[in-house]
Amino acid sequence: MKNSNQFQTHVISPLLTTISQFHERKAFCINEVFYTYKQLGELISNIRFAIRELNEDYIYFGLIANDDLETYASILALWLEGKAYVPLHPNQPLDRWKEIIKQTGIKTILSSGDNYESLNCKIVKTYNLAYKADLLEYDFSIDDGTDCYVLFTSGSTGTPKGVRINRTNISAFMDSFWNCGINITEEDKCLQCFDLTFDVSVQSFLAPLIKGACVYTIPHDQIKYSYVAGLLEDEHITFGAIAPSMLRYLKPYFDEIHCPGLKCCILTGEASPLDLVKQWEKCVPNAEIFDFYGPTETTIYCTYYKLNKGREIKTLNGMLSIGVPMKNVEAIVVDEEYNILSTGEKGELCISGDQVSAGYWNNPEKNAASFFEKEYNGKIQRFYHTGDLCYFDNDKHLMLYGRLDSQTKIQGYRVELGEIEFHAREFLKGANAIVVTFDNSIGNTELVLFAEGETVNTISLMDYLKTKLPFYMIPSKIIQEQQFPLNSNSKVDKIKLKKRISEI
Amino acid sequence: MEKELIIDKLTTIFRDVFSDNTIILKEEITANDIGSWNSLSHMLMIAEVENNFSIKFKLKEISKLKDVGTLIDLVDSKLS
Repeated sequence: MKNSNQFQTHVISPLLTTISQFHERKAFCINEVFYTYKQLGELISNIRFAIRELNEDYIYFGLIANDDLETYASILALWLEGKAYVPLHPNQPLDRWKEIIKQTGIKTILSSGDNYESLNCKIVKTYNLAYKADLLEYDFSIDDGTDCYVLFTSGSTGTPKGVRINRTNISAFMDSFWNCGINITEEDKCLQCFDLTFDVSVQSFLAPLIKGACVYTIPHDQIKYSYVAGLLEDEHITFGAIAPSMLRYLKPYFDEIHCPGLKCCILTGEASPLDLVKQWEKCVPNAEIFDFYGPTETTIYCTYYKLNKGREIKTLNGMLSIGVPMKNVEAIVVDEEYNILSTGEKGELCISGDQVSAGYWNNPEKNAASFFEKEYNGKIQRFYHTGDLCYFDNDKHLMLYGRLDSQTKIQGYRVELGEIEFHAREFLKGANAIVVTFDNSIGNTELVLFAEGETVNTISLMDYLKTKLPFYMIPSKIIQEQQFPLNSNSKVDKIKLKKRISEI
Repeated sequence: MEKELIIDKLTTIFRDVFSDNTIILKEEITANDIGSWNSLSHMLMIAEVENNFSIKFKLKEISKLKDVGTLIDLVDSKLS
């Protein structure tokens, strides 16, 4: 089949045009240092030469997800070489890295920092590479079905699962994104405050680079909400995507925040509460505010809701509507038998179109469970089960109730409670462990782990979990219970456990 | 207040908020150096510092906090 070359059209060509056209313009601001498009282009070229010297056929490369120009240049270099990146965040425990490396069979890791000798992979240093020449062409015989990245998300059985996103997916996403009415130019200053292990980071760096704007990132050793506040005030950021949980940290200071220069603010990662958004609107009086929704499996975002000033804002249970499907997305709401439901009827949101992932890494069981085919609009389409309970309103806007399962969001990150419980039970040698969520005093979701047993070393258990799980999955409290309360179905009574949190 | 006393009080707060009795404060320490120093615990730490020293921080001041050294300097300047 002929390669559709959509990646060339929607990503590579605009990006390479920007690099050549905006040579002297600022591409990145990283830790208060500015880098030009010329510097970015040279670094991409250097890294491409380094990759070529390896003569490595394998498409997948590990990438230490540092906050520096080398790391962003590495992503673009890998894409230009027809490769894909698998990000490894330096704040994640080594065991998690080893699990990801084992699953993906990565042989080579690009690193702008340490050597990581214990990983048994070839480490390619991406810093201090001598400039040879510009190497910025793209081989458009590279199939659009080739992966761009594999992101590992929380797995309910204890093992993280890799979501594969390819060039067709990213092209379709960028086309859809601009079609939402988002307008970025080379004059814009755009916030990138998501870890590279979180797919919103791709929108946050790629969209501005395609348009010649400047990307402002967050150093790893800084507290995010605090650093973002500084950027908004001092650098006059004009565009940014943030999670509502960040707004909750800033909320006590809303009366000190005044950003008339912010033109567009995307809220994403979690459900957006109306009251919080209405207060934030006063801080950013000239901003268009969008609520974007999307699982990693449907490439960053798949539906969006634009708040129109002066018009009624659609909400359900105080949370903003997740709006309408993006251009290259079809959305249906189905019952347990896959019947498409009518307006107003609650069911599972399922997504099809070119933004839907080809599947999880090497996981046929999960793929069979998460994707299905159904005839829709006159053709057989492949749909993804989002696991989110929704309905369409009379204006064909989606209203989100919540999850069908035990997944939650912490600061925008997907967390399967089962993954935390799995590791806790391993430590407790099979004793029961249950994670419950609760909303803290500022309204952000926290995790509390209950461990069942006569004696539980909660400190050692916490230390153990830190060697297995990323920071956002570490419970804020561990509570030991001799015996878990049971409900009338003889299942652990999570409601009673939640009540214990307020008692303590 | 003497800087030494500020550092002593901050050490007590850090050890309590970050649940780590081994913390020894140095100016160059950042959130990367203390495992449980994250957005939530940072917010709690700021509240504890404000309570203990009877001061109030503006967001602009909090956003300039890069490391323990800048925190010590900020508390010192608020108390002067």
